[in-house]
Amino acid sequence: MSYGLSVFKTDGSLGFSTADITWQTLDQFTVAANASASNTYNEASGMDIIVQRQLVNVPPNSQEDYVPNVSISGTTVSVSPQSGLSSSQCIIHVLTRDS
Amino acid sequence: MAYGFEAKNDNGKVIINDTIENLHFIGKATRGSNNSDYGDFPGYGGGNDSLDGRVIHYYTITCSGTPVAFIKPSDYSRWHGIIKQSVSGTTWSFDVMVSGTSTSNPPDIYCFVNADDIPVPSGETYGMQVFKSDGTTKTFDSRRQPLAITGGGTAPAPPSDPTNSSGLPGVSSGHSWNYSSNDHDFRSSNRYNATSDSAANTTNAMFACSSLAQAVYKRQQHGYKESCSGCFPFIGCINCQDHHSTAAWWVMYRQAFRLRSGNFDSGWTGYAAGYSFSSSFESGGWFGGGGGSYSTGSMPYTAKTINLQSNAFIIADSSRYN
Repeated sequence: MSYGLSVFKTDGSLGFSTADITWQTLDQFTVAANASASNTYNEASGMDIIVQRQLVNVPPNSQEDYVPNVSISGTTVSVSPQSGLSSSQCIIHVLTRDS
Repeated sequence: MAYGFEAKNDNGKVIINDTIENLHFIGKATRGSNNSDYGDFPGYGGGNDSLDGRVIHYYTITCSGTPVAFIKPSDYSRWHGIIKQSVSGTTWSFDVMVSGTSTSNPPDIYCFVNADDIPVPSGETYGMQVFKSDGTTKTFDSRRQPLAITGGGTAPAPPSDPTNSSGLPGVSSGHSWNYSSNDHDFRSSNRYNATSDSAANTTNAMFACSSLAQAVYKRQQHGYKESCSGCFPFIGCINCQDHHSTAAWWVMYRQAFRLRSGNFDSGWTGYAAGYSFSSSFESGGWFGGGGGSYSTGSMPYTAKTINLQSNAFIIADSSRYN
């Protein structure tokens, strides 16, 4: 390339460059069972936000494990139990990308 | 910005800056034991006995941050899902479910953590680091390879009904006594929702998307007959006995995913299954008594589908991290 940034691995091969696309991490946290959380990420203003959920310590053959709901409004990410249900412990990954 | 660092890609989008952390590759998780089961209903050998089967592979990796785990299938025709992630100290464990019963061709699990959580490679004293304005929190470190994505979006929930047969299995009566013949196909091979994605391929693509949806469904058949010692004109039947039987098949499902060329599929794989049969009559003995029963496993909860929600997925090129 004639301009931009390239990052090379120790073996000299290209590892990352300004030709790439990525998702960056805004936040990672664990929501306890039946708990709620709400966080605002001003640094992601004008950017896309996605959330990945991963259930923790699920004994998958012995109980109903309800994942908490997630809503994204602007730069605010809210996590809460499904209506009328007990949610399980859940890892939350909040990722962002320039839109 | 008045100061700091920012790199934009060829499309003018920020990919490195001093306010948000990049994910960096820290290695593949170590695969341990596995558990393979449920290629058919345990203890049953009649019609519609076959199930999808599943293998649970157990992986661990040690790191200080919370890893984002990508599944790189070895056999892209099979369904994959991370059904459990837990941590003890700094050791993270993943239970990865793969459809089928063959334990060969297990997937690789590629793990990424925030720049500030990567271990500093020994002997590598050159490269580029970017820190936040606090001067201590690292957002980028060229000594560990940053995550570059090739695709992704929102994976839809799988179909609510995880079973191949049309309609959900239910309860039926009026069968003959001791009738036990499953008439419902509990496999899930046709039950998925596809998302078009040009980055999906069956050579080096890997994906990050966890299994959320679960389901349990059961087919139950009730049998009956009346047996009498004899029936006589004007008297009727004497010494009559009621005979009852119940046969039941159940399967628990977990959401699983598949990469096809140009598509990311959100579907199901059977996680556990059971079969039970009981038979009785009013007096005398069957199985040496007034009846008998057989059962494998216990149905985890009443029949339903839960967590039928979409989830974000990311696709990346695994070959960049080998």
